[in-house]
Amino acid sequence: MSSDRRAFFKNLAAAAIPAAPEPEPDPWLERYSRQLVLPEWSEAAQRALQDASVLVVGAGALGSPVATYLAGAGVGRLGIVDDGEVELSNLHRQHLHFTPDLGVPKAQSAVAKLGFLNPDIVVEPYQAAFAPEMVAGQDLVVDCTDSFETRYAINGACCEAGVPLVEGGVVGLSGLVMAIRPRETACYRCAFPTAPRDAPSCAEAGVLGPAAGVVGSLMANEALKLLAGLPGALTDAFLQIDLATPAFLHVAIRRRDDCPDCSP
Amino acid sequence: MTWVRTKLELERMAPGEALQVRCSPGEALENVPRSAAEAGHDVRVDGAIVRIVRR
Repeated sequence: MSSDRRAFFKNLAAAAIPAAPEPEPDPWLERYSRQLVLPEWSEAAQRALQDASVLVVGAGALGSPVATYLAGAGVGRLGIVDDGEVELSNLHRQHLHFTPDLGVPKAQSAVAKLGFLNPDIVVEPYQAAFAPEMVAGQDLVVDCTDSFETRYAINGACCEAGVPLVEGGVVGLSGLVMAIRPRETACYRCAFPTAPRDAPSCAEAGVLGPAAGVVGSLMANEALKLLAGLPGALTDAFLQIDLATPAFLHVAIRRRDDCPDCSP
Repeated sequence: MTWVRTKLELERMAPGEALQVRCSPGEALENVPRSAAEAGHDVRVDGAIVRIVRR
């Protein structure tokens, strides 16, 4: 039988079946349908996100993809911490900020965009530097800062409060991501007991926008896995990302008994 | 969207329980039985009715 005839009979058979009544539109279902349909995802996972409160520290190169994906995915309450203002040199990699935002506080600029993205969630700006008290009551913290001093402060505060943490960093064409369940898995200080002495900043060494996008996206992915209770979180390990080659290296690490941040 | 609705309904059911889904011809009638089978459920199709037994 020719393909035309096959198509004719197939259409004829289909025409004999009456259409099912259209169900009522459900904006919640439609908004999250592409993740709800995943075999790994479920309504319970979606509700867990909806009930979660997440603090994103830094609304720059990493904070932009992290906050965008968490807001889009339906995290119920997002806090955006940043004490800086949007500068022209930010715009090639910090996609939550646009040229008309120059001079606007980054936390406010980010919250405005995230509100457009998902009006069903609560997004709060904190135009301030990170303070350990901010961790209280959070279900997860995502560290999107670019300072080792702040990174260790966030790690210490999360270990103290028992709040899960996603760590990440990017410079040039390389980066690093790790997920931490305090007092259960290795923390950032277990992996890196002291800050490197001569690590260059993005201002000195430069950074390519997509490199920040990749690292930030991986961080958001880890955050969603931790929040939804999915298996395979990047704990007791870190992922070293080299986008020049490109290559991804999974490095296993262990908790340190003498870690000043997370040891018993 | 029919398969998304079906998947969520199956998540609320106990293993062994059966669900009947009336599908419109075309995409829904093609996707629902295929996706349900791929998810490991027992599937039978009778016209526009897809009968799924939760695994």
